[in-house]
Amino acid sequence: MQFKELIVQETNNICEQLSSYEDRHTSFKELFLTKDTINFGPIKLLDRASIAMRTVILFLTVLTIYFFSTLDYQSIDVLKGFTDTFVNFKTMLLNPYAQRFTLGEAFYNVVVTLGLAFLTTLIGGIVALLLGLLAAQNLAPKQVTNLIKGFVAIIRAVPTILWVLIFAVAAGLGSAAAIIGMSFHSISYLTKAYSESFEDLDRSVIEALMASGANWWQIVFQAVIPSSVTYLLSWTFLRFEINFANAVAMGAAAGAGGIGFDLFMAGGFYFDLREVGFITYLIIAIAIVLEVFSTNIKGKLQKSI
Amino acid sequence: MALLELKNVTKNYNNECCALDNVSFSVDKGEFVSIIGPSGAGKSTLLRCINRMVEASSGEISVDGVISSSLSKKKLRKLRTKIGMIFQHYNLVDRLTVIENVLHGRLGYKSTLAGVLGRYNQEEKSQAYRIIEILGLNEQIYKRCDQLSGGQKQRVGIARALVQNPKIILCDEPIASLDPNASKIIMDHLRNISKEMGITIIVNLHQVEVALKYSDRIIGVNRGKVVFDGAPCDLTTRQIRDIYGSESEDLIFELGERHAG
Ligand SMILES: Nc1ncnc2c1ncn2[C@@H]1O[C@H](COP(=O)(O)OP(=O)(O)OP(=O)(O)O)[C@@H](O)[C@H]1O
Ligand SMILES: [Mg+2]
Repeated sequence: MQFKELIVQETNNICEQLSSYEDRHTSFKELFLTKDTINFGPIKLLDRASIAMRTVILFLTVLTIYFFSTLDYQSIDVLKGFTDTFVNFKTMLLNPYAQRFTLGEAFYNVVVTLGLAFLTTLIGGIVALLLGLLAAQNLAPKQVTNLIKGFVAIIRAVPTILWVLIFAVAAGLGSAAAIIGMSFHSISYLTKAYSESFEDLDRSVIEALMASGANWWQIVFQAVIPSSVTYLLSWTFLRFEINFANAVAMGAAAGAGGIGFDLFMAGGFYFDLREVGFITYLIIAIAIVLEVFSTNIKGKLQKSI
Repeated sequence: MALLELKNVTKNYNNECCALDNVSFSVDKGEFVSIIGPSGAGKSTLLRCINRMVEASSGEISVDGVISSSLSKKKLRKLRTKIGMIFQHYNLVDRLTVIENVLHGRLGYKSTLAGVLGRYNQEEKSQAYRIIEILGLNEQIYKRCDQLSGGQKQRVGIARALVQNPKIILCDEPIASLDPNASKIIMDHLRNISKEMGITIIVNLHQVEVALKYSDRIIGVNRGKVVFDGAPCDLTTRQIRDIYGSESEDLIFELGERHAG
């Protein structure tokens, strides 16, 4: 049996090597059993990064201790505060109940909020499609793309709520300001996302079509958009989810109506925790439905395209 | 009158000297011309000057009797429909099907709107089918291009060029990423296209032996200059050394083998 012989030979080889090793050094066993004095350094070397890390942790610890020891609780009993908050949460989450509106009205307001999210995503998507094309490096001259990308980055740096408040100066607090402000932020967000999706298509493909006489618009619609359509749709869905959350907040903060406004009234005006709980559950349910829906569609798109 | 004529064409990128240096030659209808030369010699630049994907710095290029350098955007588009081009990396839209990619070759003939909407008429579609069939791709016709092999992709590239009804097809290293078998299929198709359809083929090649086997004529380029222009049988070892400079020893060895074999 050749195979067997081979194995025997190999084993012998290894044994020989081992024993010659043991000749040269002390035996393995000894090495393991010696307790004394192989002096390893510390396992982590103290380099600049770890020094910085330790300093930061130390600093934060000191700061936390200082904060709690000097905090002015005034007349509030901390323990009571915690228990009260807990009780509030319990009423909110365990006894949700709507007094001031019917289920139908609540749904109507959810639809208003969804409408706000949908409209701003739609406006944002359409404008961003155009800007995204002009901001994609494979489709537009460098100066133009830099200009648009810079502009859009500045818009994005300011939070949505601030844009709404800025536009409220001209349009007054309400749904108009909310729509303009939210669209504005959506445009900048989607422009960045879209242009990066467009850049996925290799420049050489575009050149090939140019060389056959196709013009810019034909190339955009026949090559660029078809190859990035999955990305475009998933970015748009993501933005829709963000805009739904924004629309709830805008309903409260900018008086844009919808379920967010109800939440604001229930919490800030009537102090009705059970209603707050009810609305919270409603919003969570919608968010879950949206999530499931968009995951589903994305899955289907990825399969078919 | 020659189909393609270059007169004293020169190209400098960024004012550096000279990707192309005073290149002149003319090519007839149905000719199969190979352009060979070392890397960086200016072969790609030469091809791209012909369809003005690269603007020549000076000189005159005429295609089918039209001088290309002064054309307006619209006329240039029309001229480009007569010039097909295929590439080393195929440059197809990977997420689209074979037939969609092939029909892209028709975009140059269409109005912007019809092209944007992707409206192709019956005649265009049946022509595309016919060409796909000739190139042996009928089983892949509705497959996405990222599911094809390299050789199949290159055939799609050829189909896209053919559907343009071109007078010339420019090929920039069409077989550089293919194995010998697929290379042979591609080169055979190109030769048939030139012989049977009378379409002029201009191919950039790295493999001298392939150029010798398939071409009617070989143009050797070195540092932007045409250093050889003639029939394959006139290409001697010395001239290959002129074209490729000092790194040509192994090429010459291959050539010797071919003559021996
Ligand atoms: N876009 C560009 N900008 C500046 N210089 C360029 C550009 N394209 C090519 N060149 C230069 O022009 C010269 C010729 O390049 P070209 O691509 O035509 O060579 P080639 O013969 O096709 O080489 P290869 O066989 O490697 O493809 C090279 O020196 C290259 O550096
Ligand atoms: Mg090249």
